[in-house]
Amino acid sequence: MTTAKTDEVVKEPPAPATPSDQRERDRMRRRLARRRGGGWWPYLFLAPWFVGLFGLTIYPMLDSLYLSFTNFDLLTPAKWVGMDNYDRMFTDDPVFWDSVHATLLYVVVSVPLKLALALGVAMLLNRDLKGIGLYRAAFYLPSLLGGAVAVAIVWRQVFGGDGLFNDFLAWFGIKGQDWISSPDTALYTLILLAIWQFGTPMVIFLAGLKQLPKDVYEAAAIDGARPVTRFFKITLPLLTPIVFFNVVLQIIDAFKTFTPAFVISNGSGGPLNSTMLYSLYLYKKGFTDLQMGYASALAWVLFLVIAGFTAVNFIASRYWVHYDD
Amino acid sequence: MGHQISRRTLFRTASGLAVAGALGSILSACGGGTGAGTTSGKLTMTWWGSDDRHNAYKKALKYFQEKNSKIKIEERYQGYDGYFDKFNTNVAGGSAPDLLQMDTALVAQYARKGVLAPLDSYVGKTLDLTGFSKTLLAAGTVDGKLYGVPSGIGVNQLTVNRSGLEKLGLKLPDREWTWADLKKIAQDVYKKSGGKIYGVDDGGGSTLQCFEIFAREKGQTFFSDDGKKLGFTSDTLQEWWEYWAEMRKTHASPPPAITSAAHNDLTKNAVVIGKALFTFDSGVYGAGGSITDAQLDFLPTPQGDFSGAREGNFVNGGVLLSATKASKKVADSVKIMSFFAQDATAIKDMQLLRGIPPTDKARKLISSGLTETDKLNMENADYISQRVSKAANALPAPVPPPQGADQIWDLLFQANLAVAFGKKSIKAELGEFFDQAAGVLAQ
Repeated sequence: MTTAKTDEVVKEPPAPATPSDQRERDRMRRRLARRRGGGWWPYLFLAPWFVGLFGLTIYPMLDSLYLSFTNFDLLTPAKWVGMDNYDRMFTDDPVFWDSVHATLLYVVVSVPLKLALALGVAMLLNRDLKGIGLYRAAFYLPSLLGGAVAVAIVWRQVFGGDGLFNDFLAWFGIKGQDWISSPDTALYTLILLAIWQFGTPMVIFLAGLKQLPKDVYEAAAIDGARPVTRFFKITLPLLTPIVFFNVVLQIIDAFKTFTPAFVISNGSGGPLNSTMLYSLYLYKKGFTDLQMGYASALAWVLFLVIAGFTAVNFIASRYWVHYDD
Repeated sequence: MGHQISRRTLFRTASGLAVAGALGSILSACGGGTGAGTTSGKLTMTWWGSDDRHNAYKKALKYFQEKNSKIKIEERYQGYDGYFDKFNTNVAGGSAPDLLQMDTALVAQYARKGVLAPLDSYVGKTLDLTGFSKTLLAAGTVDGKLYGVPSGIGVNQLTVNRSGLEKLGLKLPDREWTWADLKKIAQDVYKKSGGKIYGVDDGGGSTLQCFEIFAREKGQTFFSDDGKKLGFTSDTLQEWWEYWAEMRKTHASPPPAITSAAHNDLTKNAVVIGKALFTFDSGVYGAGGSITDAQLDFLPTPQGDFSGAREGNFVNGGVLLSATKASKKVADSVKIMSFFAQDATAIKDMQLLRGIPPTDKARKLISSGLTETDKLNMENADYISQRVSKAANALPAPVPPPQGADQIWDLLFQANLAVAFGKKSIKAELGEFFDQAAGVLAQ
């Protein structure tokens, strides 16, 4: 079994240095030093990456930090306004709070459900059935379409007043409503879309499940542990590093959701700001309402919130994530 | 330290890297900066519109380039959604188009920010505006300078599904109709159709074609002349919302879900989907849907039937053509504007696709080739512009709206929707609307 093998390699303690090891290392060091001498050209190969890092990430980030303290309308030069943008956000912008509310609800509801579904399906797909590859592909497919605009448009058709979903309800004699354009349900259609796209965490779960040692299960089966017990006592604890990885990434992703909200609400975040996810509001402020300074401030608040959530996740992980080393 | 890689560090590192990557993008997306301008020798022209309008523009521009082989034009066109988002980004990045179709509602904002080129020095030379009336040119005039050439007369009118009305045994109302008449016929539509069709789409949150005219009938404007305040009173808006609340209650207007779905999406308009027969949204003509086979007709916005009611309708400039100030090809852009204003081929190609042509000469040129619906459209526009010019008590046409106007229009729409969904009372919503509007205008 491959997993056992790698574990052996990993657990092997470092051997104490012997004289021959020492000679070998010295030779190595000299060779490296020789190479380093004429070595400007490796940086040439790294240059595109540095250009990307500084030009497309670090510089724009710092620029947006500066802009967040200005009144910048994209068309005329930015004017320094100090903390005004941050002040306005928390004291004088009801739509900001609408968007915070919509986004938190979206994150809190969609992430756990998506991960639960991803894990459930990953367990179903973790067996040796005929044509299992086909099933895996089929379940991953919706995520491949990812944030695509096309999927969101389809969603709009499905949950519109005369959409497929209402046709489906009609079979059972239930009279539907226009789910997309009612302020009470619009956000839940977005959440449903997010849950449906569970493929990425599912694939990661599947990879994790494949690594679980079979002998533990065999022992448990001999001891008469039932499937539910095996799941909670073996699978889940062994899988916690992977659960943690997925939780962190999915929360960040959910906070940044933009495309489906933009497409489904026609860019309005409506009805009544019920689908005004934070990123959408940020976009609207920057590019539609010409308040790029304010939008930059919004972006930094989002950055800090996500960083905060992630830090809490990492700290909390000490208490529930088990590593096998 | 040993050189073993444990699963712990592997996951820690992977999570950390993934987090860093995931976070970076939100911030870098918001960075500004100025990019390089367009360096190609082509003149870039942008517009928004329907497929019909795109084809008409392309046809006319092809003819223009045959006559002016030195001017090479790069055409960029799309729907209205995102058009100005893209324009803003281009201006910020130093790659603004040389010539663009401009919205009369936004021209003041861009002119005052110094994005558009003033055109006065070209008028009478390379820019031929013979036959353009002063009221029409006002649509492109900001603080006394001309920043855009109007494409034609734009009037606010209702689009009516006339054949749908006739099927129910109802007659098209007289053009001198009132808000009470609208209520009556809209309720009749609901009754006669057996509850299948509502009368008129909900205008409670619709500013331009609708509430603004109602306010003008009371001698009030939407924005104050200096653009720093709202020009109407809380009583006026209250009366307006109560009218529409009554309309929804009696099924003269559709429920809010239908109104909400049509926001920013003409194809979901109540008239287009066959759920109403009257709409204030002038764009529905050509939007397809259930009305493709229907005979459409047009009516002026209704008038108040209270004593002292004034003429509320007005004439504006359709869409505009504007040049950007940073462009090195303003002179060439002006030639193209002049071409669309006066050239017989261009006028015939564009027909009514950018509004009713601005001059008598142009209107005569196209009158023979019009469809039945186009004819009715033009007749009604003529009727409105004549009535407006005769009205002794009409307020002057509104000044170009201030910056933030579109946010306030959206606010009105959302406020009416909140009332319609029963989330807020009219009284509470009034206070909030005036508060928030003041906040937007103060920015």
